[in-house]
Amino acid sequence: MAQLILDHVTKVFDDNGSDIVAVDDVNIDLEDGEFLVLVGPSGCGKSTTLRMVAGLETVTSGEIRLDDRVINDASPRDRDIAMVFQSYALYPHMTVRENMSFGLEESTDLDGDTISTKVTETAEMLNIGELVDRKPRELSGGQRQRVALGRAIVRDPEVFLMDEPLSNLDAKLRSGMRTELQRLQEDLGVTTMYVTHDQTEAMTMGDRIAILNDGRLQQVATPLEAYHQPANQFVAGFIGDPSMNFFEMEMQGDRLVGQEFAYPLSQQTRESLGDAVRVVLGVRPEDIELVSEASGDHDYETVVDVVEPMGNENNVYLNFTADSDTTFVATIGGMRSVEAGQPAVARFPESAIHLFDAETGEALKNRSLDELENAEPRL
Amino acid sequence: MSSQTANDSTSGIDFQRIGLYAVLVVMAAFYLSPLESGLMTAFKSQEAFIGSTPFVPPPPSGFTVEPWFEAWSRLQLGVFNSLLLAIPATALSAIFGSLAAYGLTNVDWRGQVAVIMLFVAGIFVPYQSVLVPLTQFWTMVGLEDILAGVPLLAERTGLLELIITHTAYGIPICTILFRSYYATIDPEMLEAARLDGATVARIYWKIILPLSVPIFAVTLIYQFTQIWNDLLFALVLLTSPENQVVTLSLNQLQGSMVQQYNLQMAGAFVAALPTLVVYVLFGEQFAEGVAGES
Repeated sequence: MAQLILDHVTKVFDDNGSDIVAVDDVNIDLEDGEFLVLVGPSGCGKSTTLRMVAGLETVTSGEIRLDDRVINDASPRDRDIAMVFQSYALYPHMTVRENMSFGLEESTDLDGDTISTKVTETAEMLNIGELVDRKPRELSGGQRQRVALGRAIVRDPEVFLMDEPLSNLDAKLRSGMRTELQRLQEDLGVTTMYVTHDQTEAMTMGDRIAILNDGRLQQVATPLEAYHQPANQFVAGFIGDPSMNFFEMEMQGDRLVGQEFAYPLSQQTRESLGDAVRVVLGVRPEDIELVSEASGDHDYETVVDVVEPMGNENNVYLNFTADSDTTFVATIGGMRSVEAGQPAVARFPESAIHLFDAETGEALKNRSLDELENAEPRL
Repeated sequence: MSSQTANDSTSGIDFQRIGLYAVLVVMAAFYLSPLESGLMTAFKSQEAFIGSTPFVPPPPSGFTVEPWFEAWSRLQLGVFNSLLLAIPATALSAIFGSLAAYGLTNVDWRGQVAVIMLFVAGIFVPYQSVLVPLTQFWTMVGLEDILAGVPLLAERTGLLELIITHTAYGIPICTILFRSYYATIDPEMLEAARLDGATVARIYWKIILPLSVPIFAVTLIYQFTQIWNDLLFALVLLTSPENQVVTLSLNQLQGSMVQQYNLQMAGAFVAALPTLVVYVLFGEQFAEGVAGES
């Protein structure tokens, strides 16, 4: 078990003479036994970061430390790290047993019997005990996934690295594996770095999530912090599905004025903005209420554009006027009936709004968490 | 139209299909006729050959298997020497090709591209252009003197030179064949092996080599045929008659005064037999390798 530290890690690729910065000054500390999810859109540098920790890519500058030992220049085999790949990367000519024992044979001095016992134990734990004599091509996707996991687990490494391990599974299997992976990691207590582009995986699996964009670290926080207190507009838009609605606004007196609507601000909110003039107003779809009649300052007449029924809830796409380009989405209960073309009144409660600096994207004000804390059940 | 007739098999005849088969039969006959003529000639006596068209089967009076026995007795030594040459040369060029391709495809290092270009260029060097430098090279090396202490090898100097020459000449094409196959191997799998603690050499031995069976079949068949059928290098490098290979022996079946076509044809079939055997042995893996499925 170990503590993994990424200290000002930077990776620059040389692309025919021009430098491409794939990872830019990333600092992340993983506590012993922590499950950290590295999330971001494709091409954001998350896989490169993982591969640097694995030793498959060199580090341009900065340090990667494993329990105070700098491992920048250690070869992959000397790092005591196991990795699970997206393609599973199983050895096709070996049986499951051979696949799982290969790492132990190559990296330890254990004798055959000990290796065999360890492999059998791990296979039993992953419920693939009866498959050990099969070849990978005789297994289903989910079973291959388990073998790939088993190959990592059996080595009992200091750190697990996982590179989108669930993205080749179908949706049903994926959510099952998600839970199982989490349970496994908790039982084993191995420090884990998990890369994904899927924000659902990030939200549900990690102790903490690190959000990367364009090679830069945006925020490291618990999933709920990232959701409710995003550090900037990128994080706010990336985490959550459907995404947060954004409106570009300008501060005029005591209200925000946008293209389609104006939003009066309370004294308290105005103070948190400082002297920012151009801001982005953000509000999550589930925080928008659809009410029967416009009665307050934050109520707006809209027209329903499209309704996406999800069963438990409806995603309602709204326009301020029938021929407007600005569409935003509100999530309402699945039992409420709303139809396209019908008028609706949307309410943006002031306690739920986020405000971002339009220039830098920095969060100026996040939603208040008073209601949230009250709503959370005590454990 | 045609599909209708094909489905309705009880009525009428599918003229399109008949036409297709007719064309196929004519083409097959065209391509097989030299082979058939050769085979018929090999079973005819000299008189029967003169008295009949080549592709007509031998008349009962003119049928003989004598040319086969004579061809075999005169080619025996050549076949033996050719096996002695072709088997090690084929195996060596395939092994070296595989190793080079692994190093150039699955292992990362600076200046790879330049080396690959050299290999590719090697494929395009024609046999004829290296004949003179080749003989000069072997004269300079003086392999016979080097091996003087080991009489068993010294007697075979010519064959050894030929083995080394064919191995070297075969490496580029083998490398490229292996390379195209190794390029399809999942790089993540090799990275997984590195993380599992395997060294570059261990990865080759435990992962790459076991996965290379189909492409080994391809290169073995290709190289064996090339080396077996080569006359030019053998003609230049082999001096002693004890070392002569099958292509040279076959050439000598051509009499100076009387042309014994039946003997020459039988000899050609005897000489071609081993390559056929190799193809039958590795045929299945060959198909797999050509199809590019790992």
